Amino acid sequence: METTPHDPTSKPDEPELDLYTIPSHSSWFLWDEIHETEKLALREFFDGSSFSRTPKIYKEYRDFIINKYREEPSRRLSFTDVRKSLVGDVSLLHKVFKFLDERGLINFGAPSGSNTSLVVVEDGEDRSRIKIESVVPNAVRVGASPNSPKPICVPPNVVDNAVESGFKFLPLASYSDVFGDLVKPKGLICGNCGGICDSGHYKYTKGEFIICINCFKSQNYGENRSMDEFKLNECAENKGSNGAIWTEAETLLLLESVLKHGDDWELVAQNVQTKSKVDCILKLIELPFGELVLGSAHKYGNYGGLNGSMNGTKQVQLSSFERHEAIRLEGQCHEQINEREENGDTVDQGHPSKRQRIASLSDAGSSLMKQVARISTMVGSQITAAAAEAAVTALCDENSFPREIFDVEEDHISNGLSSPTASYEAERLLIAVACHSLSFYEALLLTETANTPHKRDDIPLALQIRASIATALGAAAARAKLLAEQEDREVENLVAIIIETQMKKLHHKIKHFEDLELIMEKEYAEMEELKDCLLAERIGVLQKAINAGISRWRDHSVKS
Amino acid sequence: MKPPASTFSKAPVKFRMPTADNLVPIRLDIEIDGQRFKDAFTWNPSDPDSEVAVFAKRTVKDLKLPPAFITQIASSIQSQLAEFRSFEGQDMYTGEKIVPIKLDLRVNHTLIKDQFLWDLNNFESDPEEFARTFCRDLGIEDPEVGPAVAFAIREQLFEVATQSVASARESRLSKKGRRGFEYVPASKAGGAVLDLVKLFGHKSSVVRKRKEWEVYEPIVDHLSNEEVDALEAREERNFR
Repeated sequence: METTPHDPTSKPDEPELDLYTIPSHSSWFLWDEIHETEKLALREFFDGSSFSRTPKIYKEYRDFIINKYREEPSRRLSFTDVRKSLVGDVSLLHKVFKFLDERGLINFGAPSGSNTSLVVVEDGEDRSRIKIESVVPNAVRVGASPNSPKPICVPPNVVDNAVESGFKFLPLASYSDVFGDLVKPKGLICGNCGGICDSGHYKYTKGEFIICINCFKSQNYGENRSMDEFKLNECAENKGSNGAIWTEAETLLLLESVLKHGDDWELVAQNVQTKSKVDCILKLIELPFGELVLGSAHKYGNYGGLNGSMNGTKQVQLSSFERHEAIRLEGQCHEQINEREENGDTVDQGHPSKRQRIASLSDAGSSLMKQVARISTMVGSQITAAAAEAAVTALCDENSFPREIFDVEEDHISNGLSSPTASYEAERLLIAVACHSLSFYEALLLTETANTPHKRDDIPLALQIRASIATALGAAAARAKLLAEQEDREVENLVAIIIETQMKKLHHKIKHFEDLELIMEKEYAEMEELKDCLLAERIGVLQKAINAGISRWRDHSVKS
Repeated sequence: MKPPASTFSKAPVKFRMPTADNLVPIRLDIEIDGQRFKDAFTWNPSDPDSEVAVFAKRTVKDLKLPPAFITQIASSIQSQLAEFRSFEGQDMYTGEKIVPIKLDLRVNHTLIKDQFLWDLNNFESDPEEFARTFCRDLGIEDPEVGPAVAFAIREQLFEVATQSVASARESRLSKKGRRGFEYVPASKAGGAVLDLVKLFGHKSSVVRKRKEWEVYEPIVDHLSNEEVDALEAREERNFR
């Protein structure tokens, strides 16, 4: 570069500031570098094919031509003007000249020559011109970065004020480097550490200033601000729009993770992934049985085979059970169940006819009583029967009703049946009666009609209803009891396993110690043997010494 | 002093016009019965020879020349093409070769003086385009100037090429005695070949010194009618 006489006139030495214009598509141009575009367009300079065509020579050509043009930007520079000053093949020079001309690095904005084709080119380039500030040819320039579609204009007042020549950008400054600070970031930025406040922020109440939670915790409030002046803004506020929308899959996931993790919301939110902690809590509270799930999740754990909603209803049932003063039933049921358990029937085994009823009942609505009934039908037939019997007994005791009214009925039905399952059938029927009467009870409540046709007029309706309610509650209680016992057994089993394992461990240890003892004994025996051996040797040596007649030594030794 | 031929050495170039288009400059200057016909144009040597006769007939007809010119024109073209073809297939030169081209011509009222460098290894060079740019840059409106400039360049290139072939042959013969000396001395390679190291070496700049600018600057003069007449009269005299 030193050899290049930039501008032979004294012009560049003057502190005069010129504004040069090049089109934005040539913004790659840098004085100190040769760009790929140039290498591609003028390959002969870069393939090392000729002694007279090297990158250095190209750069000299280029720099000279551009400088020559900038001596007088208003005048169109012609090839003939240039070639007299440059050593080299004119064809090659012409190619370089044409390249620079087409790229607008020279003759851009200069009055077009007589050639019409060039005029057209100029018109096309007018749309995408940018301003370039340049002091001396090697000076720093302002260019649009290649990815910014809009050309930027340097305000002319920057140029006019010669004192401001200190205002310079780095040679490689890109658009975003220079103007990045002016672009407002989308998210909230902590005024202290500059991080993005994803999980909420604290707002300064006395002005526009926010800090992130981390900064707040570490008490970096910024100068002149105290802790009280900050107000916590949860991120839920920011994300209000997307937090409100819950898909079914997300809700299910939420319920699952709540059952799994309880109220460890961090874990729950982690499981749900798409929603924040606050969103999860809000959603669960919104759910019709949310609180119950929360309460039960810890107490009862996850029931196998029961999904969240069933769990919820169960809870409703149980709590309502507690409200009714039917606790005494439990004791009776307990006995009954104990009897029934001998049959070894599992709880989940249901009767097909019952299942059908479940469907019909659940259609009717979601009143408490119906839910109770539904739950009661979920349990095994024996349990239900036992519950029913207990209920009937209790009612009879309480109201001194003749037990016969039930017994008659029972007998009446069982008359036609001779199989061992007859009693079961009868009990099942009783349940059916209970359920039927339950629905009638509902109807009564709704229509307020005093008289309803009933097929079993011989039993007072109120009694029937009470009996059925008691039956249902009893059945549910029985089921709960059963589950508790199952749990107990499981725990017992586990404890037994643990004890067994511990015993095994102890046995192993004992065996190990025994082995060790054995080894010790062996070693002891070996030591004894060795001792004997040494003694014998010593005796042998002494014997030899005596035989050899070293009495004195022996005396000496004895003496000592 | 020799250029570092090792780094840029190439296989010898077979003879052709060292330009993008392999066009042969043909100059005609025929006088029959006091009628003089002068013309200059380029001819593609790969065109069939039958074209020559067609061209001659056509030219004579267009210019309303006596029919005697037909054979003269055709034979002149043929002989020049034959000369060109006699060099084809022979080695021309090796390595770098940049020659100065000097223009000194008059086309009608325009007088042109110029000189510049031409790289004989640049087979993308286009004298016609150079001439067009020349005329545009210098504001020459006479449409005959451009082709004349291009032709002048081609003529000189042709001359350099033929000289190179001759010297290459010479050096091959002389090389038989010596051994291992690949390089053909620039001075012997024909024409005023430039010292490339001096021009393109690391120490020198490819930008000329200011005082040299005038030497390489084109000079264009527009002559008046009287001057043209005087010059033509002088040329006529020289011709005879």
